[in-house]
Amino acid sequence: MKKILLIEDEKIMVDILQRKLTKEGYDISVANNGKEGLRVMKEINPDLILLDIIMPEMSGFEVMEEMRKDSKLNKIPLIVISNSGQPVEINRVKKLGAEDWLIKTEFDPQEVLEKVRKQIGN
Amino acid sequence: MKKRKQIEKKLSSSKKLVAKEVKEERLALLNMLEDIDEARKIVEEEKEKTEAIITNFTDGLLFFDKKGKLSLINLQASSFFKVKSEEVIGKSILELTKIPNLLPLVELLGKEIKGIFRKEIEIRENLVLEVNTIPTMKAEEKIGNLVILHDITRERIIERIKTEFVSLAAHQLRTPLSAIKWTMKMLLEGDLGPITDEQREFINKTYQSNERMIELINDLLDVARIEEGKYLYKPVFTNIEPIVKFVINSFKQEIEDRKIKLEFKKSFGVLPKAKVDIEKIRLVIQNLLENAVKYTKPGGDVTVSLKQIKDKIEFSIKDTGVGISQDQQKRIFTKFFRAANVVRMETDGSGLGLFIAKNIVEAHGGRIWFESEEEKGTTFYFNLPIKEEFGEFLKEF
Repeated sequence: MKKILLIEDEKIMVDILQRKLTKEGYDISVANNGKEGLRVMKEINPDLILLDIIMPEMSGFEVMEEMRKDSKLNKIPLIVISNSGQPVEINRVKKLGAEDWLIKTEFDPQEVLEKVRKQIGN
Repeated sequence: MKKRKQIEKKLSSSKKLVAKEVKEERLALLNMLEDIDEARKIVEEEKEKTEAIITNFTDGLLFFDKKGKLSLINLQASSFFKVKSEEVIGKSILELTKIPNLLPLVELLGKEIKGIFRKEIEIRENLVLEVNTIPTMKAEEKIGNLVILHDITRERIIERIKTEFVSLAAHQLRTPLSAIKWTMKMLLEGDLGPITDEQREFINKTYQSNERMIELINDLLDVARIEEGKYLYKPVFTNIEPIVKFVINSFKQEIEDRKIKLEFKKSFGVLPKAKVDIEKIRLVIQNLLENAVKYTKPGGDVTVSLKQIKDKIEFSIKDTGVGISQDQQKRIFTKFFRAANVVRMETDGSGLGLFIAKNIVEAHGGRIWFESEEEKGTTFYFNLPIKEEFGEFLKEF
């Protein structure tokens, strides 16, 4: 079973994604902020990370910067799910090595699932 | 003897008469002199009053005589530019370019002192001036140019705070809106168990309302970013035609539903490319097409055309819709403005589409305009320069 780590502080978004992705047969772990996310990813070594940007403790940007410093972590594919679609932000996460990104108001859970499948298959 | 006496008497009486006349005339003359003196005093007082008004006026005032030399600068203008009046009085525009503090203004005025209406210049960090010039006439003859400088720093600060507020509020609103969107979608897709047809219908409507709210928030954010000067442009040298076709295609369903006949007229051959931000130009065309389709009654026509006019690509969209009434035409590109007739037709709409379109077109160095007659229809036009560089693009940060 493919392991996905979801790093997101908004509880309802976590509930929705967890439900959707579990149903599709993925193994979902959740972290509620960036700091926790970094700790958990070292522990479980996921196949994919779904990362929010604006979070308490440590932002998604900072998480990505930390991951880049680690030769093991920087190989994990990552999809950014952000609330804001500012081109500056998109450029920044692309430069930091995100595989894909999506803006929450423009996508829905089904499309998130499709992006996940594209990255790691069923 | 008698005769002599008679003559003497006559003479003396006429002498008296003359003396009397002289005396009277002298008096009249004195009176006149007094009047002149009085008038002079009044004129002087008036002059002093005018000078006091000009000197102490809260707007900066400069006057250039008909030879283009600076003949007056009031206290406020001197303090705006931190120059002394004796340093600048009597100098021509060209000589004034040598004074660094005056450079922003002099560059705006130009050699001939152009007619300027409400142009803004930033003199330093916390001083923004609005410049107006007024050609001054005496009878039919031009005697010079008056330059009026109005301090709008405070207005700019308030505007910035408002923009920041809108931007922050819109961002905050997106989070719960996304949550609603995702939840509705889960329900609709049966991820949370089966739902009845009636439930589906209502959830669908809720989903659509939520989508409209998201669009509105996005428009508000676009406006806030235009105002903050953070509207990003990713310019590429490209053909406009595919962008137009793409937008028309995306409206296919709506055009069919509303029974509107849409025609795309394009001049023969391949049109030259223009340097544009594809996403933003798409948004302009989308806003114009949406208006044309929305405000044209079923069975009406919408004609889109694309052609080259001199060194520009011109896009136009003509509809047989409700039109814009004469008295509201001036305000059509104003933020949040919606014409009375369209508000009656369709309560939805942010009044931001044309404001956004205008800002995008102008940032590309183009122009947007329209012709309209109520109940007959409207044609919107915009053009884009064909050259590889463009005007001052708004910066990202």
